[in-house]
Amino acid sequence: MTDAVPQTETNRARPKESFDFFHDERVRSVFYQLLTAGTFGWLIWYLISNTAHNLDVRGMKTGFGFLSTSAGFDVDFKLINHTPGVGTYGRIFLLGALNTLFVSFLAILISTGLGFFIGVLRLSNNWLVSKVALAFVEIFRNTPLLIQIVFWYIGVFSLLPAVKKTIDLSLGAEMMLLNNRGLYLATPIMGGLFWLTLVALGAALVVVVMLRRRARKLQERTGQQIKTLVPSLALMFLLPSAVFVLTGMPLSWDMPTLQGFNFAGGTSVPPAFLALLVSLSIYHAAQIAEAVRAGILSVNKGQHEAALSIGLKPGRIMSMVVIPQAMPAVVPPMISQWMNTVKNSSLAVAIGYADIVSLFMQTTLNQIGHAVELVGMTMAFYMFISLSISGLLNIYNKRVQLVER
Amino acid sequence: MAIITATKTPDRAAPLGERSVIGWIHKNLFSSWFNAILTLLTGYLVFITVTGVFNWGFTDATFVAENRRACYDNSLTGACWAGVIDWLDNIFYGRYPRDQIWRINVGAVLLVLWMAPLWMGRVKGKVLVGTGVVVFYPFLAGYLFSGGDKGLFMQVMVSGAIVALIANTANMLTGVLWGEFLPDFVLRVLGKSTAPDKTQRNILLALLFVVFTAVFVWQLSWTVEFVSWTKWGGLFLTMVISGIGIASSLPGGILLALGRRSKLTVVRVLCVAFIEVFRSVPLITVLFMATTMFPLFMPEGFVLNKLVQVIIAVILFNACYMAETVRAGLQAIPKGQYEAAHTIGLGYWRTTGLIIMPQALKHMIPNIVGSFIGLLKDTTLVSIIGLFDILGMLRSISKDMPWLGLHKEPLIFGAFLFFVLCFSMSKYSRHLEVKLSAGDQH
Repeated sequence: MTDAVPQTETNRARPKESFDFFHDERVRSVFYQLLTAGTFGWLIWYLISNTAHNLDVRGMKTGFGFLSTSAGFDVDFKLINHTPGVGTYGRIFLLGALNTLFVSFLAILISTGLGFFIGVLRLSNNWLVSKVALAFVEIFRNTPLLIQIVFWYIGVFSLLPAVKKTIDLSLGAEMMLLNNRGLYLATPIMGGLFWLTLVALGAALVVVVMLRRRARKLQERTGQQIKTLVPSLALMFLLPSAVFVLTGMPLSWDMPTLQGFNFAGGTSVPPAFLALLVSLSIYHAAQIAEAVRAGILSVNKGQHEAALSIGLKPGRIMSMVVIPQAMPAVVPPMISQWMNTVKNSSLAVAIGYADIVSLFMQTTLNQIGHAVELVGMTMAFYMFISLSISGLLNIYNKRVQLVER
Repeated sequence: MAIITATKTPDRAAPLGERSVIGWIHKNLFSSWFNAILTLLTGYLVFITVTGVFNWGFTDATFVAENRRACYDNSLTGACWAGVIDWLDNIFYGRYPRDQIWRINVGAVLLVLWMAPLWMGRVKGKVLVGTGVVVFYPFLAGYLFSGGDKGLFMQVMVSGAIVALIANTANMLTGVLWGEFLPDFVLRVLGKSTAPDKTQRNILLALLFVVFTAVFVWQLSWTVEFVSWTKWGGLFLTMVISGIGIASSLPGGILLALGRRSKLTVVRVLCVAFIEVFRSVPLITVLFMATTMFPLFMPEGFVLNKLVQVIIAVILFNACYMAETVRAGLQAIPKGQYEAAHTIGLGYWRTTGLIIMPQALKHMIPNIVGSFIGLLKDTTLVSIIGLFDILGMLRSISKDMPWLGLHKEPLIFGAFLFFVLCFSMSKYSRHLEVKLSAGDQH
C-alpha cells in the first residue's frame, strides 16, 4: 500500500456517464425546442393559408400597391400638404404618423412639466396644497382616459361660444381666438433679416450655458456661489430683442380674420386636437406626478439633512442634492409614461382627430380594404416608436449605472 | 444635594404646536408668509370649485323630469340628472330584457358569495376557493347570462359549478362556525375522523358523487330563456369583458413569463417577441386587428362573433402585461429557493408550482389588482369598435329623443362610477401591499 500513488482530482476515474436517451437533459431540451418551433410554425402556416384562402374567396387583392394610388378624402388637420384626389395613401400614412407624433410630443412636454410641478406640490409642507395635488392625481388617474377625452371634446371644446362670439385669449390683440370650431392662431411670417435674431438667440444660449458651467465649477472649487439666474434671463431676452429692433423688426403676422361664417388666415387647430392634447397632458401629468413623488421620497432623508447642515438654501438643496439623486428613480417610469402617451394618443379615433389609427386603420381601411397590410403598417409604426423610446431608456440607464458606485 | 428624588418629576407637556388645533394650523398652513399666501389662494380656489360643482350638481340640479326641455324649464344653471336616472337600467345592464335582469343580479350576488370566504380569517382551504371561482364560476355565470339549451358539456360544467358553490358555501359556514375545513367537518360528523385515509377518501368521493347526481338531475329541468350577446351592454358588459380578461390573462401571463425566463432558446425568443410586440402597440390597434383580421384567420365558414373577438384581443393584450407583472414577481424570489428545491430533488414544474409560484403570487397580488384597474379602464375602448359597453350606453343617451344633446351629465356620472370602483380597488391594493409585506422575513 505504500507505493500507492495518492489519488488526485485529475487521475481519478470519472464515474461513467450512462447516456439515457429519454432522460437526458440535452435531448429533452432539443426536443422541446423543436416541438415549440414546429407548433408555432404550423400555427403561422395555418393562419396564413386561411387568410390567403379567405382573401381569394372574397376576391380581395393584396400587396402594397395601394400606397401609390391617390386618396380621395381630405384631412382636417395636416402638417404637410395633401390634396384630395392627388395625394397618395402613402402620404396619408405619413400625415397620420406626423399628427400622432405632433400631438404626443406636445402632450409629453406639457405632462412632464405639469407632472413635476404637481409631484413637488404633493410633497409640499403646506397641508392644503399637498391635499389638492393628491385630489388632482387621484381623480385623473382613476377615471378612464377615453371618458376624459370624450368629455373634453363634447363637454368642453364643442360647447365653446360660436364663431360670432369668439373668445380672444390674447386680450384684445386677436392673435389667439378660441371658439367651438377650434383655436385660431396668428402665424408669424419671417422677414428677410429675421435669421439674425435667431442667431442672436442661439449665441445668447451658448453664453448662458458657459456662464452656468463656470459658476458651478467655481462653486465646486471654492464654495462661492454666483447668482446666474437674473443675468442669464436678461441676456436671453435682451440680446435677441436688441438684434430684432436693430434689423428693423423683420416679422409680420398672418392674422386670423372673420370671413363669412368662419375665420380665414393664420393657423387653425380643430377642437379634437385641443381635447386630445389637454386630456393626454392631464392624465399623464397625474401619472408622472406619482413617479416624481416616489422618486423624491426614495432619496435618503439624511441627504436632505446633511445639505441643510452645511447651510444650503432649500431651493439649492432641491436642485443640487435631492433632484439629481431622485432622477435615476424618476426617469424610467417617466419614459414609460412617454411611451404610454404615444400609445394613448391613438384614442383620437374616438373623437375624430386625424391620427394614424383614425386615418389609416379606419378611414383608409373602410375605403380600400387591405386589412392585413394596413393593420401591419400601423402596428409597425407604433413598434418603431416604442423601440426608439425604450432605446432612449436603455442609454439613460447605462449612463446612470456608470455614475453610480 | 440629592440628585435622585423619591418622587417622579411631572412630565413636561408637549409643545403647543404638537397638540393644539391652532398649533397644527400654524405648522401646516401658515408656517411662513409665503405659505400663508399659498394657503389662502389655494383655499379660495378650492372653495369656488367645490361650491360651483356642488351648486351645479346638487342644489340647482334637476333629478326628476320628462325630458331635457323640462330640465331647462326647472333650472338653467344646474345639471340634468333626470336623463341619467331615466337611463340607469341601460347604463348598468344594456339592452338586456328587462324581465330577465334578475339573472345578472343573481350572477353578481353568486360571485360575491363565492369570493367572500377569501376575506374570512377562519375559513380553511382558500386556494381551493380561489381555484373554484376561476374554474367553475365562468360556466355558471355564462349559462345564467346567455341561457338557452345546454349541451352535455355545459350540463356537466353547470352541475359541477353548482356543486362547487354548495361545497364552498358549506365550507364557509363550517369555517365561520367551528373554524373547520369542510371535509374534516363531514368526517367528524360521520364519526370517521380516525378511519384510514383510504376510507375517508372513499366516503368523501361517494358523498360528492351523490350530490353531483342530485344536482345533475335537478338542473335538467332548470332552463333560462336565451338572451343574445348583442343585447348585453352597459357596466355588465364592461365587467364581463374585464373579468374574463383578467381571469384568463393570469394563466397566460404566467406561461409567458416562465417562457421568457426559460433556458430553451426557441421558447424564450418566441415569448419575448410575443410580449414585446403586444406591449409596444396600443390596445385600440389590437382591437381593430381582432375585428378586421380574425375573420380572415379563421377557416372558411367559421364565424366568431364580435364579443368573442374582442375578448380574445383583450386577453392577448393583457396577458403580455401580466407576463411582465409575473416576471417582476419571479425576480423577487431569492436564488436560494430554487437551489433548495433542486437539492430535495424537485424537477422544473414541481419547483415552479410548489415553491416559486406560491411565493411570487403573494407578492404580485397588489400588482394584479393594479392591472385589473387598468383593464377595467381600458375596456371602455370597446365602445370605439361598436360594442355598447358602459361608455357606449352613456354616449347614446345624448342620441335618445327626449334627452337629445345631453352629453356632460352621463359622462360625469360614468367617470364618477369608475372613480369609485378604481379608487377603492387601488386603496385596497395599497392596504394589501402593506399587509403582505409586513409578514416578510427578509
